[in-house]
Amino acid sequence: MEVGEPQKMLYPQDTTETEGAEVLAAVFSPLVRYDENKQPVEEAAESITTTDSKVWTIKLKSSYTWHDGTPVKAEDYVRAWNFAALQDNAMSSSYFFGRVDGYNDVHPGEGKTPTAKEMKGLKVVDDTTLEVTLTAPFSQFKTMLGYTAFYPLPASAIGSDGKLSPTFGEKPIGQGLFKVDKPYKKGTDQTIEMSVYDKFPGKKPTGWTKLQFKVYTSSETAWNDLQAENLDIHDSLPATAISTAKQVLGDRYFDEPDASIGYIGVPLKYNKEFENVDVRKAISMAIDRKTISDTVFSGTRSPADDFINPAIPGYRQGACTACTYNPAEAKKLYESAGGPKTIELGYNADGGHKEWIEAVANNLRANLGIEVTPKPFEKFQGILDALDAKEYKGLFRMGWSIDYPAAENYLTPIFGTGAIGTGSNYGGYSNKEFDDLVAKGDQATDAAEGLKFYQQADDILLKELPYIPVYFYRSNFGHSTKVKNVKLNLLNQINWADVEKG
Amino acid sequence: MGRYVIRRLIQAIPVLIGATLLIFCIVFALPGDPVAALFGDKRPDPAVAEVLREQYHLNDPLLLQYWYYISGVLFRGDFGVNFAQVPVSEILAGKFQVTLNLALTALIMEAILGVGLGLWAALRRGRATDTMILASTLLLISIPTLVTGFVLQLVLGVKLKQWTGLDIFPVAGVFAGLRSYLLPGFVLAGVSVAYLTRLTRTSLVETLRADYIRTATAKGLSRRRVIGRHGLRNALIPLITYLGADLGNLMGGAVITETIFNLPGIGNQLFTSVYLREQPVVVGTITVLVLIYILANLVVDLLYAVLDPRIRYE
Repeated sequence: MEVGEPQKMLYPQDTTETEGAEVLAAVFSPLVRYDENKQPVEEAAESITTTDSKVWTIKLKSSYTWHDGTPVKAEDYVRAWNFAALQDNAMSSSYFFGRVDGYNDVHPGEGKTPTAKEMKGLKVVDDTTLEVTLTAPFSQFKTMLGYTAFYPLPASAIGSDGKLSPTFGEKPIGQGLFKVDKPYKKGTDQTIEMSVYDKFPGKKPTGWTKLQFKVYTSSETAWNDLQAENLDIHDSLPATAISTAKQVLGDRYFDEPDASIGYIGVPLKYNKEFENVDVRKAISMAIDRKTISDTVFSGTRSPADDFINPAIPGYRQGACTACTYNPAEAKKLYESAGGPKTIELGYNADGGHKEWIEAVANNLRANLGIEVTPKPFEKFQGILDALDAKEYKGLFRMGWSIDYPAAENYLTPIFGTGAIGTGSNYGGYSNKEFDDLVAKGDQATDAAEGLKFYQQADDILLKELPYIPVYFYRSNFGHSTKVKNVKLNLLNQINWADVEKG
Repeated sequence: MGRYVIRRLIQAIPVLIGATLLIFCIVFALPGDPVAALFGDKRPDPAVAEVLREQYHLNDPLLLQYWYYISGVLFRGDFGVNFAQVPVSEILAGKFQVTLNLALTALIMEAILGVGLGLWAALRRGRATDTMILASTLLLISIPTLVTGFVLQLVLGVKLKQWTGLDIFPVAGVFAGLRSYLLPGFVLAGVSVAYLTRLTRTSLVETLRADYIRTATAKGLSRRRVIGRHGLRNALIPLITYLGADLGNLMGGAVITETIFNLPGIGNQLFTSVYLREQPVVVGTITVLVLIYILANLVVDLLYAVLDPRIRYE
């Protein structure tokens, strides 16, 4: 199995990037996994219940044991979550616990010292039951629980100095399908070796027991290794390989929606020129998304037509009417709205965005008859700093990959008023009606009921276009002849128990 | 000679300090916040970012940061830790062997192919063989390593196995032992082989014109003895200089080759660390590279005396 080098050591609560999460997903079993209908179903949990979306009772299956043989208890979850949330520990996933009651005591923010070590919203009821109280109701909480940050930690993970032990980071002890065979020295080792844990109570793969993650720095190299059958699964084929991969791999090649999305961000808070919604609509209609997806991205992206990605429940095909390419209408609208004569398009030059940004610039130039300058920044952070300093007033490239597979995750962190300054609301969009609808969705006692409100909030975004959705990412993956039945789940991780020998 | 070696080693200290300080400044001047780089497109939680900055002394002035670093290295032999809290010395120790293996493979190939072809060309000067060797080295010099790397990987690594079933050249990684280094070693050596061939040819042609060669021939020595003992030995001096300096180049030039062939070496690490702005790792790597460069040059200087007894050290 191909994997990029994990950014940090293998600590679940300090891993928010995909590579490390992929490795950890093999070692740990989440409380919920996602079924074919993209709904969360209990995995390590026996049941997850609530009556008001505020107090959640999680009952654990008693059959789960740590890889050292001891049973998994409710306190293992509470320990892990409290550790993650405590500000002094600087865990990158701490914000996942922001909705838990007492988070502000353990994580008061920059320059302040925590007043407690544990969140009062987490309670161990008995060995297999824990109760989570949130600050405010959140109907999607169950969906969140499938994520890496919510894995439990055994007592041995935290050393006597109160920090995560490096031994654990090299050879994490989990309660999942695979146990790590030998310590992984990050930066040195090129493989992470695992084998099936005998006492795992869930579904086990048939016919094979060993799993090896191979660390590649170049996706192209991994693709060559796959063709030479030295590698069995490659789940992020490089764009250069896509055109030939279908032909080389045949039905071993897959192309599926991936939950990420790419936008053109609009600095609503910093530049009044974009205030008129017609200007944004015109820009959106002037972008030829189909050609960009097909040519610039060689089909590895698809044209965006909603703020919610097709991989996630809640997506509505064609919802974004202003995302349809219509140059004539765009020009008319732009002129009557009096849009700016010159526009800058900011992008970070380190991530392969130059080509599509230039394509967008060409579209705008040709279709709106205005002057457009692509403006490279070395790093994405450079754009954000320039926005914060109010030095930069142009449009900017934005991307979002979800933290947990809920429609809500496309809304609150990017467009919620509360996400200005601390979250990822870089454009500074603020709309009371939108915030209220999201809050209503959060308060719903039923996830499906909540989704209705989220879609209404999405409707506001579609009407107002605070950002302009351009493309959805796709997963392009393939496997060798030695394996079959390789499937990705909602988190883009492989369902290992289903994989069979070819 | 002992004094000479010691003096040379003492001279290395200011070079080392100068080089690390320079690299430190360069890495420091790179745009972007290293902590933010850890969070991708998402905004880091300000409180978490603050704790991390504190932990890695990122809020301190540059010179103070440098002092923390260099005092650790000099007094405690501690090269610091990267953002994953892994000690840099541990990271480098593991990677170093790989790059050294690769560089030595390349150096050996370079020496054998370069000197051999150069010798052959020099002895066939002006004839078809000579012209052919000169033309092919020119071709080799003009193709970028990136291209030779990918083409050879595809043809010898992937296609050869698909067509014949023979697994001779591994596509990537170091799992096949020394065999893993053959292809990347050749790719890395490529350009240097070409230069060395040309250098050998010129140097030997030059030497063969010298008076003492004529004398040796006039004395009635065999051609083999004239060329081997008197010609080649003297022609070797510039070649050794080149090879010594080239070892350093090869170690540094491994960035591209190691990335193409997925070898977990210094070059690969340097690339990732610069991207992530992991100051301690970048500076540590460069320090080691500078050391190797200095040592390789020292060895070269000492070898001169072996080849030419007229050269003496004091």
